[in-house]
Amino acid sequence: MTSLAPGRALRPPGSPPAPRTGRGRRRSASRRRALLGLALAAPALVLVTVFFLVPLVLTFWMSLHNWPLMGRARFVGLDNYSRAVGDENFLRALRFTLLYTVVITPVLLVLGLFLALLVRRPVRGARFFQSVFFMPVCIGLASGSFLWLYLGQSQIGPLFDLLRRAGLVDASDNLFADVTTALALVIAMVTWKVVGLQMLLLLSGLQSIPDEVVEAARIDGAGGWQLFRWITLPLLRPTLALVLVFSVAGSLLAFDQFFIMTGGGPSNSTITAVYQVYRISFTSFRLGYGAALSVLLMVILAAVSAVQMLLLRGTDHN
Amino acid sequence: MHNPRWKVAALLSGLAMVAAACGGGGGDTGGDAGDGAAPTGTITVWARDSQQVFMSKLVDLYNKNHEVQAKVTVIPAASFVQKLGTAASSGSGPDVASIDLVYAPYFASVGALEDITELADALPYKDALSPSHRALSTWEGQTYALPFTAEASALYYNKDLFTKAGLDPEKPPTTYAEIREAAQKIRALGDDYYGFTFAGACGGCNVFELTPHVWASGGDVLSADGKQASLDSPQVTAALQLYRDMWTDGSIPSAAKNDAGTQQIPLFTSGKLGMTPLGAFAIPTVEEAKINFGVTPLPGQDGGTGSFAGGDVISVMSGTKNAAGAQDFVKWVTDAEAQDFLAHNGSVPVRTDLVGSIYAPQGEPYAVFGELMGIGKTPYSVVENPIFNDNNGPWIKMINDATFGGDVAGAQAAAQQAAQALIDDAG
Repeated sequence: MTSLAPGRALRPPGSPPAPRTGRGRRRSASRRRALLGLALAAPALVLVTVFFLVPLVLTFWMSLHNWPLMGRARFVGLDNYSRAVGDENFLRALRFTLLYTVVITPVLLVLGLFLALLVRRPVRGARFFQSVFFMPVCIGLASGSFLWLYLGQSQIGPLFDLLRRAGLVDASDNLFADVTTALALVIAMVTWKVVGLQMLLLLSGLQSIPDEVVEAARIDGAGGWQLFRWITLPLLRPTLALVLVFSVAGSLLAFDQFFIMTGGGPSNSTITAVYQVYRISFTSFRLGYGAALSVLLMVILAAVSAVQMLLLRGTDHN
Repeated sequence: MHNPRWKVAALLSGLAMVAAACGGGGGDTGGDAGDGAAPTGTITVWARDSQQVFMSKLVDLYNKNHEVQAKVTVIPAASFVQKLGTAASSGSGPDVASIDLVYAPYFASVGALEDITELADALPYKDALSPSHRALSTWEGQTYALPFTAEASALYYNKDLFTKAGLDPEKPPTTYAEIREAAQKIRALGDDYYGFTFAGACGGCNVFELTPHVWASGGDVLSADGKQASLDSPQVTAALQLYRDMWTDGSIPSAAKNDAGTQQIPLFTSGKLGMTPLGAFAIPTVEEAKINFGVTPLPGQDGGTGSFAGGDVISVMSGTKNAAGAQDFVKWVTDAEAQDFLAHNGSVPVRTDLVGSIYAPQGEPYAVFGELMGIGKTPYSVVENPIFNDNNGPWIKMINDATFGGDVAGAQAAAQQAAQALIDDAG
């Protein structure tokens, strides 16, 4: 046996060479195609390996250690994970993150859909408002946070001044000193910042609904609300699910907005899960434990996303 | 993990020192020892951006008269510790680093700093250096840093408001009761007048401003070796109760609740705030605002005084390629020349023997701060950052919950437990 190439090894020694059948040619052609495919996918594969798989494996490896900022790392097995389960600070951060997600998701979804319906109509100015609503998306989350931090600041913030003139707050109030108003400000900032993207995605979903379906429903006598309830909404569900996955994943990973606007306060009541990972890793320098918390967070995020994907698939079958 | 590198570094610096010593002993018989072993080459110095103003000028001063040429890299203060730690562990750190003294025990404990015990012991003015800086530079009996810049904490008070409220401007408060009474009287001057303020969302500010009360009352927040937290001690209770009382009196503005350390000075310079604890760094701003103010030591419950000893220590980093140059620089910054420069550029001298000649003459407030440097304290701990400086740490949460929430004992118990857990974790 001189050749170990697959497909040849099974041929008994000494037998005449197999005639080149059409099937054989097809097979080598398909092999060439596969190689070409691999070559074309190689850059992406390398990127994924270097920027996703390697850090992921490293993070997991770190999470099995007591890993200080400097000095020797010590293998501790799953200790970090068993500690995380009973870590009241982490659990509190998780609960707060969930609360934030539960509050902000419907706001983004409903407002995004409302804006999409608003700017879909071919009236004058619709394009202008599309741009206006989308513009904040182009601003960095950190810049937006700083902007709103200033806006809501007592004494100097214009937004605070407006609220004061409207009689909603006193001059001596402090929006960031109360968990409810601090959270409300963050939600307002994030909504302003990302609702344009949601609007755009939903707009494209709306535009893919065939006119004939709408026409047919109209001829059957459907009114505005019925049209929305029985035609628009069901046909929009895949897009809605996509937007939902986006916004839930984004909210569960919230960090910048709280780090900048509330600093975790008042009295540590607005610390999100990622914020806690940051604190453990870069304030306490417990990098191994921080890595373990990130892995746990990733698992939670994957599970939540998977459930949402299943829901998305379910709608497709309907 | 880094052992081989440490060994190589230690070996190299050892060789360098031997070489320098040989050069000095063998070649140059005429000149004095300093000239003979004059170090050469270049060194890199890392400092925080909060020192940007004077650091480059100070290094220029050094470069003018020395063979060794130093180059400063300024690092954002908020990420200094991470950056220095990461660089040191990967062997790409600077030769010299100016470190907030509270972090010195941590960096020494992980082997990032060169042992400079010999150099420190040979300084003729060793005993005149700020005692707290010296304590923080020591790890397991060895010295790893020299005092560099200093900052003390004291109570600023507005003399005009004291007069207006019927208080004697030359008799600032010396007990908690007097602070509270003065605050109430100034508050009573009008709706937008306040008696006292502090930074309720800034851990570092309060370790600077509140712990002196505890020390002055004979208590502490940590044991001397840093192994035992005492946040539940009666002296801490009394200090928290003072803040709580002033809050319930309405003497403290609501801005204090989430002040991250930026509002105290503007409030004081507005001329409508009676008292606030700050460091010497605030003097120029307050003078510029033409406030008729006084500075007085932070008192204990029934008298006594306390102060935080803040500032930076300066270290030779392990693994430096120019140990002789680095040592020369860290030694020079404690010289009279360098300290005189610093005293006129925003730092309290770390040399108590020089305060009278280079610092106190600048004015009365300066004299107070210079004096306080001799009694200043600093909590000694490898986990100072997560306990005290972290704005989401147990210390600031305790102050917040006690002052604004009112459950002083509950806040103390929770903070004590959290702080002790951080200490035990590290040990």
